[in-house]
This record gives sequence, C-alpha cells and structure tokens, in this order.
Amino acid sequence: MTAKNKALPGKNEILDNIMKYFSFSAIIILLLALSLTQENFLGEMNLKNLLRDTAPLMIMAAGMTMVLLFGSIDLSMGAVCSMSNVTYVHFMLAYGESFGSPMAAGAVALLVSLLFGLGSGLALGLIHVKLKVPSFIASLGFMSVWQSAALLVTQGPESLSKSLWPAVTWYKISIHVLGLPLVLAIVLILLVYVLTRFSAFGKAIFATGGNERAARIAGIHVDRTKILVFALNGVLAALAGVFLAAKLSSSAPTIGEPFTLKIVAACALGGTSLAGGKGSELGTILGVFTVAIIENGMNFIGVDAYWQNVVFGIFVLAAIALTADRRTRGQIIK
Amino acid sequence: MIKLNPAASITEEFAEKVKNENRNDRLMKLAPIFVLIGLVAVFTAACGIGFISGENLLNILNQMALPLVVALGLTFVIMLGSIDLSIDGTVGMAGSIFACLVLNSQFDTDLGILGAVIAVGVSVACGLAIGLCHVYLKIPSFMASFAFMYICKGIGMLSYQGHPPTITDPAIAALPKVSFLGIPFITWVAIFMFALCYFIQERTAFGRHIYAVGTNESIPRSVGVSVEKVKVGVFALAGFLFGVAGVIGAIRLGQGQIAIGTGKMFPAQAAVVVGGTSLAGGKGGVTNTIVGVLIMTVLDNGLLMLGVNPNIRTGIQGIIILVSVILTAPRGAKVISK
Amino acid sequence: MTKQEQDQQERGGKAELLFSAGNIAKSFAGTQALKGVDLEVRPGEIVGLVGENGAGKSTLLKIIIGAQPQSSGTMTLGGKPYEPKTPMDANKAGIGMVFQEQSLIVNLNVAQNIFFGHEKLFKSGGIISWSKMNKAASEVLAAVDITDINPTIKVSNLNFATRQMVEIAKVMDVTKRSGAERCLILLDEPTSVLNEAEVENLFKQMKKITAQGHSIIFVSHHLDEILHITDRIYVYKDGLSVGNLDTKDADEAKLYEMMVGKDTTTEYYHLDRQTVPSDEVLLEVKDLGRHGIFKHVDFKLHRGEILGLCGVVGSGVEEVCEVICGDEKPSFGEVYIRGEKMQFSSPRQALEKGVLMIPKERLFEGIVSNLSVEENIALSNAKALSKGFFVSTKAVRGQAEEWIKKLRIKTSGPKELLLQLSGGNQQKVVFSRALASGAEILILNHPTRGVDVGAKEEIYAFIREMTEEGKAVILLGDTLDEYLGLCSRVLVMRDGLVRGEFDAPAGEKPSQVDVVSLMM
Repeated sequence: MTAKNKALPGKNEILDNIMKYFSFSAIIILLLALSLTQENFLGEMNLKNLLRDTAPLMIMAAGMTMVLLFGSIDLSMGAVCSMSNVTYVHFMLAYGESFGSPMAAGAVALLVSLLFGLGSGLALGLIHVKLKVPSFIASLGFMSVWQSAALLVTQGPESLSKSLWPAVTWYKISIHVLGLPLVLAIVLILLVYVLTRFSAFGKAIFATGGNERAARIAGIHVDRTKILVFALNGVLAALAGVFLAAKLSSSAPTIGEPFTLKIVAACALGGTSLAGGKGSELGTILGVFTVAIIENGMNFIGVDAYWQNVVFGIFVLAAIALTADRRTRGQIIK
Repeated sequence: MIKLNPAASITEEFAEKVKNENRNDRLMKLAPIFVLIGLVAVFTAACGIGFISGENLLNILNQMALPLVVALGLTFVIMLGSIDLSIDGTVGMAGSIFACLVLNSQFDTDLGILGAVIAVGVSVACGLAIGLCHVYLKIPSFMASFAFMYICKGIGMLSYQGHPPTITDPAIAALPKVSFLGIPFITWVAIFMFALCYFIQERTAFGRHIYAVGTNESIPRSVGVSVEKVKVGVFALAGFLFGVAGVIGAIRLGQGQIAIGTGKMFPAQAAVVVGGTSLAGGKGGVTNTIVGVLIMTVLDNGLLMLGVNPNIRTGIQGIIILVSVILTAPRGAKVISK
Repeated sequence: MTKQEQDQQERGGKAELLFSAGNIAKSFAGTQALKGVDLEVRPGEIVGLVGENGAGKSTLLKIIIGAQPQSSGTMTLGGKPYEPKTPMDANKAGIGMVFQEQSLIVNLNVAQNIFFGHEKLFKSGGIISWSKMNKAASEVLAAVDITDINPTIKVSNLNFATRQMVEIAKVMDVTKRSGAERCLILLDEPTSVLNEAEVENLFKQMKKITAQGHSIIFVSHHLDEILHITDRIYVYKDGLSVGNLDTKDADEAKLYEMMVGKDTTTEYYHLDRQTVPSDEVLLEVKDLGRHGIFKHVDFKLHRGEILGLCGVVGSGVEEVCEVICGDEKPSFGEVYIRGEKMQFSSPRQALEKGVLMIPKERLFEGIVSNLSVEENIALSNAKALSKGFFVSTKAVRGQAEEWIKKLRIKTSGPKELLLQLSGGNQQKVVFSRALASGAEILILNHPTRGVDVGAKEEIYAFIREMTEEGKAVILLGDTLDEYLGLCSRVLVMRDGLVRGEFDAPAGEKPSQVDVVSLMM
C-alpha cells in the first residue's frame, strides 16, 4: 500500500509546488514584462500608487485566508467594507465637529466602524455555525443586506469636509515609495500569520479545515473558533473600508463591491485551497501583490476596465482548479 | 419541539419520530402558500382594496415576468444541490449582446431574431462552461459561477464598448406594447418558459434525473445515469433561461446594457428558497418557484405602494434568503456546513 | 417445500445450483475483511447469512452485487462464471439487491422510482408516457402481489415498510428484465425498520418470490427471523465460513455455538495484566436515552475498569458512546462524572472533564490526514503546550518524539504527514493523542478496526496500560473475542435496551454463547 500511497502525494506535491511558486514567478514575470515595455511603470509615481493601494486588499485577504483555511467563505466582505466606509465618513460628517479635534473624531469613527464589522462578523459566524447555514449562502444574504444598507446611508459619495482632513492624512505618509497604509497592512497580515501558525487558536483553524469532524471529536472548540474567525474577518473588512475612506477622503456606497472577487483571487493565487486546511498568509501576501500588479498593469497599459473582470474571473477559476484537492476524488462537491 | 413519551418502546418512538418529521415536512410544504395569502391580506389592509384590483394584479403579473424566468433557471440548479451566482452577469450579458446584434443605434448590425438566438446561445455557452468547471475541475458551483458573474459582466460591457446601444429595430422596439388577451408579449414569454420548464421537470427523464442527483448521487450512478451529464445539462439549461431573461429585459428597456442583470440574483435566490426548494437539493421544483416569485413580487409591489425606500426592499431580500435557509437547513450536532 | 426443490430431489444427486461463490477473499488497505467464504444458492431457496458484526456478510453481498471486486475467489451464476464490474452488470445477469439504506428517491413517485434510469422504455417522440409507465408499474407491483399501492403516489408519502416493498418490486423487475429465468435477490437487514406485522408481510412476499423459482439471500441480526424464514443457513465468523446447515436442523443454541468459535488466548489480550477495578466510580449514567434510538441505560464505570458495550449494528451502543463523549445530547437521563451531574454540549466540554472518545472511523473522525504526526498528537492538548499565547513548537515536537518512541510508531519523523502512515500507525497516533490529552475516561470505539494483527496486540497492551494507570475505559470491540478478552465487565444491548450484564474477571470469563444469545 505504501507504493500507492506515496505515488499520490507525489503528484500533489508537484501541484502544490506549482502553486507555491506560481504567484512568485508571476510577480517577477509581470514586473519584468511591464517595466520593459512600459517606460514609466517602475517610476516612483506608479510604484507608490501600486504599493499604497494594495493595503485594503491585503487586509481583507488576511481575513479571508483564515476563513478559507477552515473551508468556509465570506462573500459579504466587500459589502461590509462598503458599509464601514460610508459609516466612517457619515459619522465624521455628522459628529466630527463635536469632538474638538479631527483626530479624536477619526478615532471614534474608526471604533464605530470596527464595532460594526465585529457585529456583522459575529452575526454571520453565529448564523453559519449555530444554525448550520452554509457560509456562502449566509454571507450572500449579508452581502445583500449591507449593500442596501450602505445605499441607505448615502446614495452617492460623501466627501469629508476640509476641517476633518487631518484625520486621514496618515494615509498619505510614506517613505520614498513605501506608504504607511501598506506597512500597516503588512504588519496586520503578519500578525494574522503568527496567530494562525503559532497559537492554539490557529492550530484549531487548521485542524478544523483539515477534518472538522475529527477536530470536534478531539475536543477542539470548533464552533467557537469559527465564530471568532468570522468576527475577526468582519473587523478586518471594516478596517479596509476605513482605509478606503482615508484614501479618497470620501465615501462611496458601492466601493467594496469589486473587492470580493479580488480577495478570493488573491487567496487562491496565494495557494490557499477552497476546501480548507491548506494555505498560508504568506502565500496570500504574494497573491495580493500578483492581483495588484495585474490590475495596475492593465490600468497602466490602458486595458478596458471591462477586461479586468474577465481576466480576474479566469484567474480565480484557474487558481482554484489548481489548488483543488485531488485526493478527494470520490467526494461530492456541490 | 417533539413531546417525548418515555413509556413508548424504541420502535414506537422511532415511528413517532418519523411521523413527526413527515408532519413537519407537510407543514413546510404549505408554508409558502400561507405566506403568500398572509402578504396579500396585509397589503390589502395597508394599501386599501386597490391592491387586489384587477389592474394591480395584472401589474404584479407583468412585474413577475423577468424574475420568474431567472428564478426558473436557478430552480433546476438548486434542485441539484448546487447554486448559480452568475445571474447578474449572464442576464446583463445576454441583453447587451442582443441589443448589439439587432438594428441599433451603436453598430451596423441587423440580425433580427437571429440576434436573440445568438445572445441566448452565448449565455448557454457560459452556463455550460460553469457546469464543466464545476463538474470536471471540481470547483464548488458557487465559486465557479461567482467567477463567471464577473467574466460575463466583462463580456457584456465589452460588447458595447461603454456606450449602451438603443434598439432601433421597429418590430422589436414595438414588442413591449404588443399584448394578447390583455397580457403583454413579455409576460407571455415568461408563461411559455414556465410551461417549458414544467414540461422538462415533469415529462422528461432529464427532469426526473435532476431530482435523483439532488437527493443522492449514488442512486442514479448505480443505474448508469451519468451524474456529470445531468449536472452540466442543468447549468446549460439555467444559462438558456438567464439568456432569455436578458433578451426580454433588453426588449423591455429598449436598450442593451449590463445593468439589465443588476440586482436580478437576490430576488431570484430568495424566490426559489422561499418557494420551498431546498438548498440541499432533491426537493421542490418550478411550481414551488412560481409561488416564491409571487411572494417576492407581491412583497415588492406592496412595499412600493407603501412608499418604502427601494434600498430597504433589496435589503429585505437578503433577510428573506437568510430566514428561509435558516428554517430549512438540516441541523444536528453532526451536520457539517461549510 | 417448493415444487422446484421436489423436482431436484427427484432427479437425485447434487442439486442444481443457481449461484455459487468459492473461497472469496477481500482485503482493504492491509486488513482482511474476508479470508475465504463459500456460498451456494439453489433455485427457489432462501439462504440466511448469520454472523457477528464484521463477520463479512455485508462485504460478501457487496461483492456479489458488483459494488466491490473481490481480491480472490470465483463466483458462478447458472453454472457460468460470473464477474460483475458494477451493480448494473449484476442486474443484467439477474441479481438484484435491496440495500440497507433505502435507495429510493423520495420526491419521485412509485412508478418513476421503479423505472428510474429506464425511462426510455416509455418514451415516444421524446416524451415519456406516464400512463404507460404507471400501468407497467402496477404490473410490476402485482408481480410481487402488491395491489394496494398507487404507482403515482410520491415515495415520501409511504411508510418504511411500503417503501421496502416497492424497492423489492423494483429490484425484482430490474433482475427480471435481464431475461434471466431465475433471479437472485439480496436482502441486507430488511427487517431493521419494520414492526412485527410488517415483517410477517415481508416474509409472505419472500415466500411468493421463491415460489416462482427465484432465490433470496437474507441477512438479519435477528436469529428468530432467520430460523423462521430461511431454508438453509450459512454461518460466518471473522471472514471465514464456519459451515452451513438446513434450517430444519438448526436451532438458536446451535447457531450461537457456531458463531462464536474458539476461546480467547490469554497472551494475545494480556489477560495477566487485567486490573481489578477499584470502587471509585468515575462515570455513572442513569436512565440515559435518545429518542427512538436507545433508552433506560444505567451503568457505573469504575477506576481501572474496562467496560464493554456489546451489541449488533443498530442496537444503540454507538449512540450511547456519542452521548457520553458529548457529541450528541441525550433526550432522557443523566450523566455523572465523579459524582457531578454533567450536560455536555460538545466533545470539548467532555474533554475538560476528562472524557474523550477514540472514534470508529479513523479516516473521517480520528485524524487530520494532511497535518503532521506531531500536530495530530497535539490536537487535544495544544493549550497545555502553550507558553502564554504561543504553542511551543519545541514542546509539540518533544511530545511527539516521546510518543513515537513509547508506542513504537513507524514514521520517518514527527513532521511526516499522517496520510503517509499505515492504518495501524495512524491508530497509534490517535492513541497517543488520547493519552496525551490527560483524559481519564476513554471511550474506545472499535480501537482495532482496520489494524493488522501485530499492531492489534500492541494496542491491547496500551489499553491494559491505561487501566494500570487508573484510567477507566468503555470499549466497543470488533469481535466478541475482543470484548471478553479485554473487558472486566460486559453490558449487552439489543434494540436500544440493555439486555444483560456479565462480570468478566480474568480467569472467569463468561461464555461467548451466553453473550451472543442476548445480542441477537
């Protein structure tokens, strides 16, 4: 039996390795191709934009990776991000002046937004875990609810008044091309990495993703772990919404919508399997950069925004097909 | 909660349990109809008798047309136990392509009815592709179709290069006004699609096989029915219906644009699950869906008459999806939901 | 006696055979489910198969119906070699099976179920004619003497007994359509969901089927049913045929005798190390029950004791364990741990009180196969290995190395993925995890399932070690031999109730016949 058993992982290892180096080589190739053909691609201006605008995606992908690691998914992240985005700006506009300093107002608004994310994530986790609603459909319901709610708060973009700008100038801070938002995002994702790799909580995530039934029988807090991850994920999505508000100094009720697919794309390109139990936040960092470079590159070359949808859709399919677990041949996938 | 009778023997207990389950099942089956009656009663009370006037009922029937066609396609997919999230993209894409191919303000094409055939054909191809990705690349259907929603949106927008074409073919432009027996053409198309789907579900082997695949894949497999073919076929059929929905959407709007599809998925999803087709598969059908669509349309129509903000109305769809799934999801300590 | 049998006997000599299987063996991943069983079926005969759990009855049926290939041995049907690749091949040859888990599609009607996959027969111009199909279905049902079922009724509206009759009719029809004159129907535990009257009715139908010259293989855990309905009985044990006899020569005592076989060997189970339980009660259950599954279960588990919960599939023993380990909630009764009343809502809470189960299905419930050996061993005690927020990698590694040495786990190292280990070594990892968790009350649910002989003996030694350390064990074993060899007390359950209790101190083990007579 050993011969047969060894043969299967062998094939899987090759695929795993393809995925491991895929993002990395994709980044190199893309960078090379773009910088050689496009004169100013590696120019300070573009590089700065590229690196700074990666931050919200990175934050959300950090959360989504955790969710994917135990085999669930959260399709509501984009909508939570939109809702948090409008909440932040709306709160600032409504109460910003009454706090005396714009910084204090910013901090309170941030807290409000994050609390919203926490609540949404908790509710989603509870519905998914306790009422056994598949995560994709539960989060789809949440997506609909928060999308509408964001539009209820404001129909169109709301801009922060000039007096409140000091609360969001941190977003523009940078050392040469490396902006503060990206540094914060990378610190966050590394924290999440440490959490998933080295804490009992993280071990529980991996065990649950690998074999939920076994994890439960072995006495792991499967339910609590899942709910906490969804809650944390909600907070991260909300944080991304605040980042986007800071970036634009304004809100937009549908700003998070295009992110949903990009988040999944980044995680899948980073080698995290949709089936759970396999993947890493480090891979996700590479995945995020791959997505960002593809997007930025297409914009830079002047590819239609419409094409970008097609390209990302195909990328997601390809990446998921490559990370799909081939050992579970007989398993029914719905 | 089941009342426990500790004096009963194990076999009696078991029989009692099964009886209880069957009773609950029957109740759940009737629930959508009660909900519909309840909604009509509430809105009649709130909006006045005008709500059930012939005019408004016809209005509801016409509003139903497009959501019904979309929901019919989704019904078959959900009966498999899978799901299709590509709706917003496929419907919009088919509408856009259709408008580009018939006589229009943007391009020099004039394919007439052939344009509709091609538009629906492209949509079928997308459905087919989703099915193939799902079945052969083992990508969960929600993910495969989710990716295709973006792909189709992209294709749709590319087809008209950012400038939505207005349909100038006089015959097609006049269609929304055409009516027969007081019922508009577009509504007739929806009625015809319902009849077609009912026929497929009830009178063909394919329709019967869909139930079997949704119930337990090993049963059809053991008698030599190709589960893969059934699944891919269902996704293609869904693609066909989404395509038809896109075309009639474009006809109604008189213009082709991706927005035809926007916001079509949630009501369809809600209609199917509210109608009693279980996400677990193998249960429900197109007759359930027609009740579900009625519920959603009556609700939307009633809220509109009450002057409720449209954004609240779409938010309610999400809540309805959640509540009906929560009510029907299988539970128990050992159920694993992902 | 049927007419065919009379004919055969008149012809004299060896009776004509419908089906025969010779020396069928089957191994799964290194363990032998069947070591070589024989079976002969004559036309018009009902053959009963009896044996303990795991004797190989179900495996044999699966091989006959073509759901699994045998590893060795041959089968013949009507004198010709018979090699089914799929259940469809079997059907075409005239063999059909009614499965334990019902295989009807509940949302289709009776006629559609009977002709599922064969709708072509009623197609004209692409449309299925339901009226034709319904008529044909009525005929099929009438063939097994069912006239009171409307073929257009949905299966979900039928009770289990009627569903079963529909399934039998369907299987009869499928096999008949093969053109075979004489069919063979396999019935796997068909009576488990039926009440007495329904069982009587099933038997009546079975007699009618055999009167038409068809044969039936009947598997049941209820010996009275076997003795009542069959013509001949085969007894299997541990994947071997023990023998066969005509039902008229058989009685329960004789069958029990044949089913149980030789007595335990002292060394294999390390009987010399069997501990005498102390008086300290670690676990007590009072009037425990789960609605429609089991009830009135009372027992005390003492420190140093191995308590066997013994019963056939469906007797409720598995479910009792699920309740005790916190996986399921009881409908009635109470569980006390060290005198304290408990209500577990998850295995986690049970573990906090020192209760842990080693589950039956190792691959699905026991291990996380794409995690490493060390991660698997640390599954249940990651918290204990943490320093503050972080789980100490060194402690995890150290713990794994310790257990690998102690339990002699064959692995290239703590970092090897579990899926690369053999079944026995995977099971040792599960044991390591359970022992490392510090739980005092261990529920061992088939601890030696799918494990080769050598590893089995080692596992028995670990179990002895557990009680020597003062732990208490609830055991669900694979064979009666294992129960009596290991346990100091055995509780026998049947149909959801406790039917008897045996003390089994070393040297004074109860007889297997006594135990098995309460099980079946």
